[in-house]
Amino acid sequence: MTWFDPPRTGALHSAVMNPTARLIAPLFACLLLVTACRPADPGLVKIVSSLPRTGSAKQQTDAIVRGLRMAIEEAEGKVGPFRVEYLDLDDATAAAGQWTSEAEAANARRALQDPDVVAYIGTYNSGAAKVSMPILNLGDLLMVSPANTAVGLTKPGLGEPGEPNVYRPTGRLNYTRVVPADDLQGPLSADWAQERGVKKVYILDDSEVYGKGIADLFDERCREIGIEVLGHDSIDAKAQEFKSLMASVKAAGPDLVYFGGTTQSKGGQLAKDMVSAGITALLMVPDGCREQVFIDSAGAANLEGRCFVTFGGLPPEKLTGKGSEFVERYKKKFGELPEAYAVYGYEAACVALQAIRDAGVKDRRGISDAALAIKDFDGALGRWGFDENGDTTMRTLTVSVVKNGKFEFEEVLDANAVGDEAGLR
Amino acid sequence: MPRPATAVDVATGLPARAGVLAWLRERWEIVALAVLALAPLVVPALGGALGGQMTTLFIYCILALGLNVMVGYTGLVHLGIAAFFGIGAYLMAILTVPMYPFQIGWLAAAVVSVLLTAGIGLALGAPTLRLRGDYLAIVTLGFGEVVKVTLRNLEQITGGMKGLNPVPPPGAGVKVAGIDLGLAFAIDPRWFYYLSLLALAGVVVAMRRLEHSRLGRAWVAVREDELAASAMGISATRVKLSAFAMSSAVAGLAGCLYAGSLSTTADPNAYDFNRSIMVLCAVILGGLGSIPGTLLGVAILVGFDTVLAPWADSLIQQMNINPLGSSLLSFSGWRLAIFGLALVLVMRYRPEGLVPSRRLAAELREAHP
Amino acid sequence: MSVQFFLQQCLIGLTNGALIALVALGYTMVYGIIGLINFAHGDLIMLGACLALSIVTALGLAAAGPTATWLGIAMLVVVCGLFCGGLNLAVDRIVYKPLRTAPKLAPLVSAIGVSFIFMNIGLFWIGPADRSFPELLPAANLLPGEGLQFTWKDLLVVLVVVPLMVALSLLVKSTRLGKAMRAVSQDATAAALVGIDVDRVIAATFFIGGFLGGAASVIYGLYINTIGFQMGFQNGLYAFTAAVLGGIGSIPGAVVGGIVIGLVRALSSAYVGERWTGAIVFAILIVILVFRPEGLLGRRTREKV
Repeated sequence: MTWFDPPRTGALHSAVMNPTARLIAPLFACLLLVTACRPADPGLVKIVSSLPRTGSAKQQTDAIVRGLRMAIEEAEGKVGPFRVEYLDLDDATAAAGQWTSEAEAANARRALQDPDVVAYIGTYNSGAAKVSMPILNLGDLLMVSPANTAVGLTKPGLGEPGEPNVYRPTGRLNYTRVVPADDLQGPLSADWAQERGVKKVYILDDSEVYGKGIADLFDERCREIGIEVLGHDSIDAKAQEFKSLMASVKAAGPDLVYFGGTTQSKGGQLAKDMVSAGITALLMVPDGCREQVFIDSAGAANLEGRCFVTFGGLPPEKLTGKGSEFVERYKKKFGELPEAYAVYGYEAACVALQAIRDAGVKDRRGISDAALAIKDFDGALGRWGFDENGDTTMRTLTVSVVKNGKFEFEEVLDANAVGDEAGLR
Repeated sequence: MPRPATAVDVATGLPARAGVLAWLRERWEIVALAVLALAPLVVPALGGALGGQMTTLFIYCILALGLNVMVGYTGLVHLGIAAFFGIGAYLMAILTVPMYPFQIGWLAAAVVSVLLTAGIGLALGAPTLRLRGDYLAIVTLGFGEVVKVTLRNLEQITGGMKGLNPVPPPGAGVKVAGIDLGLAFAIDPRWFYYLSLLALAGVVVAMRRLEHSRLGRAWVAVREDELAASAMGISATRVKLSAFAMSSAVAGLAGCLYAGSLSTTADPNAYDFNRSIMVLCAVILGGLGSIPGTLLGVAILVGFDTVLAPWADSLIQQMNINPLGSSLLSFSGWRLAIFGLALVLVMRYRPEGLVPSRRLAAELREAHP
Repeated sequence: MSVQFFLQQCLIGLTNGALIALVALGYTMVYGIIGLINFAHGDLIMLGACLALSIVTALGLAAAGPTATWLGIAMLVVVCGLFCGGLNLAVDRIVYKPLRTAPKLAPLVSAIGVSFIFMNIGLFWIGPADRSFPELLPAANLLPGEGLQFTWKDLLVVLVVVPLMVALSLLVKSTRLGKAMRAVSQDATAAALVGIDVDRVIAATFFIGGFLGGAASVIYGLYINTIGFQMGFQNGLYAFTAAVLGGIGSIPGAVVGGIVIGLVRALSSAYVGERWTGAIVFAILIVILVFRPEGLLGRRTREKV
């Protein structure tokens, strides 16, 4: 074979090109036809969810989806004059093993395109919400997140410049969340630590939108109230062990280690390496770690009595009224206590159903407005409503401690006192 | 060696015919592009989610064609193409987002970031060119990791895991015949569909011309035998550097389109090793050095993940055969295995790729008559 | 920061490095003999760790006495070694063997495919979340004083890794099989001409590489104490990097590469910041390769005309 290119005679040139035309044309044709188009059905409304259903967050999202399905089943698949269908979309891909921007964008577009879809439950990751919020806003499609806590998504002045208006190209609101944002959780955790007599903290985060966001807020509040911050470092959520890091933490000698992150971003491993490095300090983690898997992956003995978890709202076993009824039904159905986020999935679906019922028409703008108008909702999480930003008015925060391999309720944090003091609404 | 025309005809089992058919065979890309260009007129779904997915597909096609310059033509294994994809996207964002003072407009930003990405490619290529084979591969892999970590950590510049957003759509603020172009781009995915299709068409045409140009032939010469090529008066260093730069530039272009179409750079994890590997698989699966092969490889691999898998999952859900939500009964539970099996089987039965390049095919036929 | 702190970090780096080196051997041996970057090696180790966890759970080893524990660990190393070795051998037979004459990058893509298949098996085996691997060894410090920590776990890594490496180098240096392996890695055709059964040598290499991987998976479980279906990726990335850094195809090179990477990771975490470790490891790798293009202990090969 010489490297000279042979002269381009027609027949030679077509030698391998020929099968190509035959291969590519039908392939693209198939791709184009995969989504069949149906006209809208006037008696049907669809609720979709977009959560990472592949990869390591699956356990949490399984719980959320179970909650969602239960809410729809309890409504017997009907709301007002409409039949309800539910579709569980995945915003993670096998190749990435976690949510990806394009999968989330595709889900949002897909929901917009189907005229029967009137509510979008999601997202799980705050980063993903930043992708789908502006897309869904263009169609006024109601978005109810069971798990986003990044402050910038809704609260003017607390996130980056331009937030949250960059997510609202139409200037109208369509995004709501049933979970309290991090502006409460981060600072309150710091206050709690001070009450416990903590003087020196070492702060770690997973460098994700959620984890870093909450760790920064914790850091800020510590400096305000005079807790010494010995160090603040980010971990790589894909790293396998943190032995060197823990040797550094040990050398610094904190009273408490705060980790802003989730079970998926190695909360368990961190706790484990902390113990094996011989660190006796307390460990504090936010709600992203409040799931049984966290205890299982850390090893219960490593957390026993020293690991504290904050959580927006009451834990499943402390819920009253509708909440405790939900927990009972869940236990009966699945034979286990629900993960903390299952209630939020349930509540998000209930809010969506309520909004459809209130609106009474199959009109996306109308349903979004109806949702934002919910001011006094009697749900599984208690009585609460949406404020002018689409945030929940619920300000209950609780601290749990790990005991006997389970989360055990410790105390309710007084959100109002701290909120005012910290200059937060 | 050039083969006589008859031999080729026997090999493909198809008699050469004059006229329209022959033209079609030679110019498959015109047909494919025409079909894709007309598709939005007949397939309304392209105005929605599918339009966005197809846009993603086109962007990956561009990225893979860029990688093909390195791996296919020049024979240098590159495991960090996603880094250049990311650099293109972040440069695009830095030049257009409101956070920075530049805001120079989409097209200008695209040109500047493509050039800068090519420059960064050169800067990486220059010191590492004396590495061969898998040592070069690991350097590109390492570069990819360094870029990812740096993008994540330099929060003041790159926004950290939040990424940079919003990247304004092309033509933001420009009004043509009473239509605000920027708004049109934001609302209707078909605008981006056409823009990325146009860019893909441009890249395909450019690659075809390059393939047969002096430079393209020099790339292949260096791949086949660096010493012999040098003996013929080709400067291997310059040829390899040009491949590095070209590859990076095309990847940068893909990055610009990516950031534009998502209106954000997404977080640095979008540009990690997984993505590089996926694109490399697409290029090899399709056929090294073959433009139609590369496109087909991307269509299959990316199409599987972004189009087929979600569709199959919702089909299974609608059929309601999985009331308990067991992952054994969902398509996504098996996604990885299906994906892996497909790679293994294609390589087992078509080790030279699905649509091997003419040169490679001829070579194999010579080796195994 | 004190000298003690520095020594502590070096100890951590060395122990981690030894583990990386054990995995890197699997890469370097397969590469040396058929020129394939075996992307599935990390995921093979993941499957080994899944098996180890299943055995530990089934036998209730976590509650056993010290003698039973040490016997159990030895048994685990052997069983998981055989499992991974056998699996690696089977994959070679089914997947890579038909591709010996194929273009060079074809087996690479197959290896990536195998790695995805392994991950899916692991996903069904242990589920999507990380699983805790029981602590079988006492956490007591073996060194006197408070400052420097070196526990049974760390000792175990050394106790398993060093003998395995010595055995491997003896095998390669002074047995018939080792000689054949070296011959095949230099020139497979010439080796076949002098009567070496090349296929058998390749099979043996895959088995030995897999066996070491299986041993590494047990150590990994006991030392890191967490396993998950995605662990193979990061594992493989660092090990492969170590193999290349040391000079791919060279057995002592893989050991040196692994230890260098372990040390760089520990020290950059300590003195620069955990968040930069990934970048520093790879930046140092690039710099080393720019100045020593054939790796630290690699052979300088001349291009043949």
